Amino acid sequence: MGEAKWRQELRDIVGDRYLLEDPILLDSYGSDGYTLEKARPSAVVLPADREQLQAVVSQLFRERIPFLARGAGTSLSGGAIPLDGAVIVHLSRMHHIRNIDWYNRVAYCEPGVVNRKLSESLEPFGYYYAPDPSSQQSCTLGGNVAENSGGPHCLKFGVTLNHIKQLEVVWPNGDVELLGSLADFASPVDLKSLMVGSEGMLGIVSGIWARIVELPQSRSTTMVLFDDVYEASQAVSAIIAAGVIPAALELMDPLAIEAVERGVYRVGYPAGVAAVLLVEVDGPAPEVREEESLITRLLEKFSTREIRVASSAAERELWWANRKTAFGAMGLLAPRYYVQDGVIPRSQLPHALRQISEIGDHYGIRIANVFHAGDGNLHPLLLYDDRDEQMVQRVRQAGSEILRMCLALGGSITGEHGVGLEKMEELTWQMSPAVIQAQWALKNACDPEGLANPKKVLPIGPTCLAESPSDVTRV
Amino acid sequence: MIDESCVHCGLCLSSCPTYLVTGLETESPRGRVWLLSQHSSGVDIGHTGLKHLDDCLDCRACEEVCPAHIPVGHMVNQFRIASSTGVARSMVKPLRYFFATRRGRRRFKRLLNWSRYRVVKRTMSWFPGWIPPDALALASGLPQQTVETARPVMDPVKEGRVVMLFKGCVMDTVYGKTNQNAHDLLHIAGARVVKPELQTCCGALLYHSGDTEILRDLVLENLAAFEESGSEDVAVTAGGCSAFMKEYRHLFSPEDPIYDRVVRFAEAVKDVSDVLVQLGLPLLPSNGQRISMHDACHLAHAQGIRQSPRTLLRGAGYDLVEMPDSDRCCGAAGTYNLTHPEISRTLLGYKISDIPQDIDAVALGNPGCQLQIAAGLNKQGRRVPVRHTVDLLWDAYQGVNDGRG
Repeated sequence: MGEAKWRQELRDIVGDRYLLEDPILLDSYGSDGYTLEKARPSAVVLPADREQLQAVVSQLFRERIPFLARGAGTSLSGGAIPLDGAVIVHLSRMHHIRNIDWYNRVAYCEPGVVNRKLSESLEPFGYYYAPDPSSQQSCTLGGNVAENSGGPHCLKFGVTLNHIKQLEVVWPNGDVELLGSLADFASPVDLKSLMVGSEGMLGIVSGIWARIVELPQSRSTTMVLFDDVYEASQAVSAIIAAGVIPAALELMDPLAIEAVERGVYRVGYPAGVAAVLLVEVDGPAPEVREEESLITRLLEKFSTREIRVASSAAERELWWANRKTAFGAMGLLAPRYYVQDGVIPRSQLPHALRQISEIGDHYGIRIANVFHAGDGNLHPLLLYDDRDEQMVQRVRQAGSEILRMCLALGGSITGEHGVGLEKMEELTWQMSPAVIQAQWALKNACDPEGLANPKKVLPIGPTCLAESPSDVTRV
Repeated sequence: MIDESCVHCGLCLSSCPTYLVTGLETESPRGRVWLLSQHSSGVDIGHTGLKHLDDCLDCRACEEVCPAHIPVGHMVNQFRIASSTGVARSMVKPLRYFFATRRGRRRFKRLLNWSRYRVVKRTMSWFPGWIPPDALALASGLPQQTVETARPVMDPVKEGRVVMLFKGCVMDTVYGKTNQNAHDLLHIAGARVVKPELQTCCGALLYHSGDTEILRDLVLENLAAFEESGSEDVAVTAGGCSAFMKEYRHLFSPEDPIYDRVVRFAEAVKDVSDVLVQLGLPLLPSNGQRISMHDACHLAHAQGIRQSPRTLLRGAGYDLVEMPDSDRCCGAAGTYNLTHPEISRTLLGYKISDIPQDIDAVALGNPGCQLQIAAGLNKQGRRVPVRHTVDLLWDAYQGVNDGRG
């Protein structure tokens, strides 16, 4: 079948309007939240429902045309950048919550449902969906499943994996299968969990049964201001060491504070503050009160500027909005940022922060830190100007060095942003050839033709690693 | 104007009504900023690119959520003006005539009064070529009575804040009664209200259609009215007008001789609900009526006004029932419902299905939305009145003639 023919077939499935071929429209899909690279898809197709999605994938399989799924394109490791001229299957039209099953406490959602929208629709009934990536106001559940997304509140409640009960998957050959179960037990072979975090390499998720949980009876959010960021990171370890698992434990350094304070949700931190720590505890009211006072007593042993407990829901929401827009607000400090997603053991936080600052100085790159301190998931934001090619090089090197440091400290190259095409090389630092081989075996079992999200995550072989994929424009 | 601060984070996507309707990246704020940057770097974005830019409602929802507060709406508008493109250009002539001149406004009022007669309505629908079907559909949302009615003169307030009531064009021609109610409510709240005869359209509809030629004249006329009135506040009953006039200063360079006057005027401009909250109205006991609030884009997103109308309505004894996404655009967006009927109709559909069933009225603070939502409810045969916040307040306070006076 010729080029024109498969395009016509796709058009017949989704209708004229939802097959994009105009070069300017295709280029707008050139990258996701990771802007260091871009590539042009050979088409973008927007199915309206599961049936159309299945028909589209079957058609692409018949023609052996590579494809990848895209939600809101907020991902940060280039997972949604179309290599090999892959066709982008944009799931933005599949944004309906199909059913809320109160008995089994699951919400059956299409993959394009926006994370925050799900919680918003549950809140009037006293429920919510727990994983809350900072991009939750836009990112989709499908993308969350692909990346196994975390978020500030995953410290206590676990990441996406812990909140998915069942998935409907369109395999790369177009077959549809239901994985997992609505019952509260794990099946002997947990295929559903294989899909979570597979970064679109195994197939496309067309239906998600997400666990819904009751809103906590009460919540307490404490904001702690420090004059020294290292002191703040020691306080983090002390809180966990005392046996408290807060719902969230988030830290921002001076550069991050500067950005969020220029952004839309200004808190008004006093001048010269070197670190802002947000500690949130939730649960039954007496427990919350007890934990809150325990944390306050602990923090008093550290040298803090101020300890303030949120006095209203509005104040709490402002603090969180301020924190959650940190990435986007970097645009106010520099034209571009490159965010790393390394993980380290909590105890190494002060040490890691020092090293990041040294790496920044060495490469002449400004680095802001805003991170999930509770689980040691760092988010150093390397600020740069993409018009300065030399600087782009230095940013890449500095980013790479930060990841080496994370591994040296006993951590990981990614916590929640995924490997994508960004960290394929770094993956080989962390995983042995045998482990990578095992993952290839899984990939080949699900996608023998290699059509689903090509040239991502898994390096092809030791010799290929030094080169970047040929169809990617390095910007 | 190209903003360098977009880091492609995508947090704006879910706030954008046109992205919600179409699902396309280039119909999202991030996509539009990208299109503008391509255009400015010399890439031909083609007919499709231009169309997707022009589909922007200028509802400003994205500006409110953008972490780097990129003014996407402004950027698209400036693009429309600079490139003289956009389907809204076709609206410039009728807008200039009917709204920007006093004679035009008088004639428009007369036309509206005729169009209320069944005979005229039927005649209009016999000649579908004359009047676009979307305008006809919209006409079904017109209020039954627009003209001001004779009311007993209230005792003049001798001391208190001097407040100028800004009449506006659509408010003056279509919702004159609302202006009258606003006047009397301000009076009850203890203001010395002045309503200068010599004032005119704020220019927002023209500006959003890409026309800046006669803006200066309009601004000058309103400046003069304000200055002669000796007012401290300019109370405005249309969210679109107050949002635009608060931003008048962006239309002039600081070197312009009238710049300082413009800034003083812009700082005095307030939505009528903010003025009323500030002055204070007496609290009334519950009247048992259930009201759902639609937040007009140019009140909620452009001015951050959500609480004032709710505070006033609760204070007047109404029960508020919130609708989902109350601040999602209803698709009216100035003249957008006439120039982009398809997207507008879809958004209106969403809005109508979000309006709760068991309520006594929908409250809002902008004439464009009022016409649009009333027409949408009519079409579905739902008999829920769509009322300006001020009119609901007047229902409650009209007995309280001299609360403070």
